[in-house]
Amino acid sequence: MKCLLAFIAGLFLISLASAQKPAELYDSVVKIETATQSYDYRTPWNTGRFSGGTGTGFIIGENQILTNAHVVSDARRLLVTRRGSSQKYPARVLHVAHDCDLALLAVEDFSAFSQLPKLKIGDIPKLESEVSAIGYPTGGERLSVTRGVVSRIDFNSYSHSQVDSHLIIQIDAAINPGNSGGPVLQDGKVIGVAFQGRTDADNVGYIIPTPVVKRFLKDIEDGVYHQYVDLGINTFPLFNPAMRRAFNLKDDGKGVLVSNVIIQGPCDGVLKKNDILLTIDDSPIDSAGNIKIAGEFLDMNEVVERKFSGDQVTFTLIRDGKKMNATATLKPTPASRIYAIRYESQPRYTFYGGLVFQPLTYNLYVSHQFKNRRLRQLYNEYVSEGLFVDREDLVVLTRVESDRLTTHMGAFRGQVVDTINDIKIKNLRQAHEILNAPNPPEFHKILFSGNTLPLIVPSAEATAAGERIMRQVGITQASRLD
Amino acid sequence: MKSILLFLALTLPLLGTPSDAVLRVNSTIQSYSASQPWQKNNPRKRSGLGALLKDNQVLTTAEMAANAIYLEFQTADKSKTLPAKVIAIDYEANLALLAPQDEPGFLTSMTVAELSPPTKLNEQIKILQLENNGTALTTAGTVRSMSLKSTFLPGRYFLTYQLKGSLQSASSSFTLPAFRDGKLTGVLTSYDAKDQISDIVAIDVIHQFLKDAADGEYLGFPSLGLSYGTTQDQHFRDWLELPENSGGLYIDLIVPDGAAAESQLTKNDVLIAINDQKIDSRGYFKHPDYGTLFWVYLINGNKVGDTIQLTVIRDGAELEIPVTLKRRPTPLLDSHIYDKAPPYLIKGGLVFQELSVPYLRAFGKEWQNRAPLNLLDVMSNPEDYRAGRRKVVVLTRVVASDATIGYDRLSNHIVEKLNGQPVEGLPELVKAFEKIPANGIHHLETDDSPFQLYLDETLADKVDQQFLKSGLSSLSRLYPVPSAP
Repeated sequence: MKCLLAFIAGLFLISLASAQKPAELYDSVVKIETATQSYDYRTPWNTGRFSGGTGTGFIIGENQILTNAHVVSDARRLLVTRRGSSQKYPARVLHVAHDCDLALLAVEDFSAFSQLPKLKIGDIPKLESEVSAIGYPTGGERLSVTRGVVSRIDFNSYSHSQVDSHLIIQIDAAINPGNSGGPVLQDGKVIGVAFQGRTDADNVGYIIPTPVVKRFLKDIEDGVYHQYVDLGINTFPLFNPAMRRAFNLKDDGKGVLVSNVIIQGPCDGVLKKNDILLTIDDSPIDSAGNIKIAGEFLDMNEVVERKFSGDQVTFTLIRDGKKMNATATLKPTPASRIYAIRYESQPRYTFYGGLVFQPLTYNLYVSHQFKNRRLRQLYNEYVSEGLFVDREDLVVLTRVESDRLTTHMGAFRGQVVDTINDIKIKNLRQAHEILNAPNPPEFHKILFSGNTLPLIVPSAEATAAGERIMRQVGITQASRLD
Repeated sequence: MKSILLFLALTLPLLGTPSDAVLRVNSTIQSYSASQPWQKNNPRKRSGLGALLKDNQVLTTAEMAANAIYLEFQTADKSKTLPAKVIAIDYEANLALLAPQDEPGFLTSMTVAELSPPTKLNEQIKILQLENNGTALTTAGTVRSMSLKSTFLPGRYFLTYQLKGSLQSASSSFTLPAFRDGKLTGVLTSYDAKDQISDIVAIDVIHQFLKDAADGEYLGFPSLGLSYGTTQDQHFRDWLELPENSGGLYIDLIVPDGAAAESQLTKNDVLIAINDQKIDSRGYFKHPDYGTLFWVYLINGNKVGDTIQLTVIRDGAELEIPVTLKRRPTPLLDSHIYDKAPPYLIKGGLVFQELSVPYLRAFGKEWQNRAPLNLLDVMSNPEDYRAGRRKVVVLTRVVASDATIGYDRLSNHIVEKLNGQPVEGLPELVKAFEKIPANGIHHLETDDSPFQLYLDETLADKVDQQFLKSGLSSLSRLYPVPSAP
């Protein structure tokens, strides 16, 4: 009975809020035009590709326009247009969160927008309830409204970064290019931000639900976006009866095995391999690693979805047969971003005597399609095996430019540098500094991971050849280390 | 019109004797399933030609006989057949010597092919094919070049002739005898229809193969047992302090237990000559009759037990090093498992196999990219995995059972320990499973998450009995551990 009342009260509030006419709210939905520059990781010294696109955004506060990160990624210039006007207002990015595909913009002069309503962020809509997606998709110049029904609420992957998964709402209204960043409304409130579609299905659109939006807005309250945090552990289901017996566990379907703890992650020093986790923040964990919160069945990792760097997570666990408590303080794991698509950042590299070295990132991996098995193995194990502790960068010889100096060096392309002059290579800067040392040895000896043959570079000739090759290939700058 | 004339000019019925020494070889080949090693794949049929040699023996390619479950000889006109068996087979050189299973039958009415002396560059040889009705066709051509090629097992290079000329497809394989002046001088192993180039295993290799097989105990070709890099790069040469024009191969790895390992040869030596034949910076040398050949000829042109003289540069000085050749040492990963059923063990639904190159190849055409990375890494860097191992045992898959609940999706984990004992090979794993821990639960450690599995002995045994009842012929196939030399 009580909950019914609450429900009605909620409805009452909503109907008050929706007193504002939809048409007026639509005025707060703006068109965003971007001019972009995306860097080319194959030729890191080049300007990359200049291009552009359009998206949608909406006003949520005083000079605060919310949109998708992918609408404004790699932007060199941003222009915002109001509904029913052709005036373009320059804007800039205040915060961008590539891991949840959200960004907050500000226009240089808000006065033209100040009278427009500020859209309110609502809650998670109910399954089967009707919603409207507002935006400026392809197919016309003016504002478009599409209606659909909430068909699924699920934890799913955000394609903008490739590696992140958060809550997603699936609706049966098509989300088309240009719709991105637009609000999805229900009863006059924003219940999500339109952000991705599917190429393998029609009439399916995905929107970022408000818990993710609210988390983003809370994260930036201190003026900086800190990224999502995760536990930094791998778990393995404890279904097997023999496995349970070996760990002296009852056959009660509770507890999950910690199979790996990422070095320097939030749980390093807190949890250990072979710990059996029983609860997380007082929620019991089942043998598959799932928990129940407010009736919802979730993966235990979702507990940290709403948390921030510095927040704590508590566990009860069994270690070596003894029950105990543990508390982890959450923090981001920057090393794991090796698997995320990078935006805005200019590719780092160093050029030496016709050889180009670059740190391994997802962008580099994809643009070069590396085949070398040891490289692929190191990339795969970079986080799980904690390789980043000793190797901040996996430095790859990505290019061997044609020259008489490098004629026979091509076979080393696409391999990870292990040592230069018998010094273990930790990052790109170190490699750069060793190669460009003021008093170099007569020969640089470069050894690659998983290869016993050395690459020998005569230092005097390499320095002389460097300029010649840069001129020939059109390399304007010998290195970019930051 | 022109091409028809040419065809007529090249393809004439054979008037001489060689065709009387040629017969058909038919084989039924059946390999084992890589993922379910207890069973075989569907059989395939293959046919080619063979040449009759003395003592009713027939020479053909290893391709024809590898994994054969049935072999037969057939007359050129297909009127008579005779069951055959393998006397000797060399998968590396792609040669096989067959004989009738019992009575020589129609072989006695055939002519024995004589073996030709070594053939030189630009000499003319004739390829013999048989029409369906038994008519012999020959295609003549000159030996354009000679090179060391691998014709069957990848990475094993042997002397071959390259011949230019159009061949018609006469049967399901290009195993065809080649003659010079009426004498057998090679076995054609492949034909590239686009470029009309055939590869023919040279008579030199055949002579060696037959000599080795003659005593009934076939040893195989020798190898040196090292890995190397070329020295074309002048900077690399300067770093190695090599003299001008010395050529040479830089030795970057000595395979344990190989011929090189048992000699004075070390890593970082630069090999500049073998038996006084100078090797250039890419690994080639000039043969007086055969032209430029790959250095491997100077190794496998000898037999096991021969001693060869290597000249190396070490620390700027030339050094003579004798090496007694031997077979390549048993590798951590078998490069092939022909004519041998792959070993396996099923324990409670967990399937264990020894990692081999054929297992990786079974991941399809793109296997070098598609096979699991951890297993590919073993192939690329076997030395990193050799410590404490004879073979690499892999939990290849899990056949879902009551004992494997929760493990069903695991595959291709490298096995490290069982009950705390390092696993050296598959028979050793079986032995380790026989020692049952006090709590009745085996503890298996692997290279991948969750890094450990537990298996209830009693339950596993029950599951195994069910497997046997449901048609699995055996829970394991093992070969004895070779005794230490």
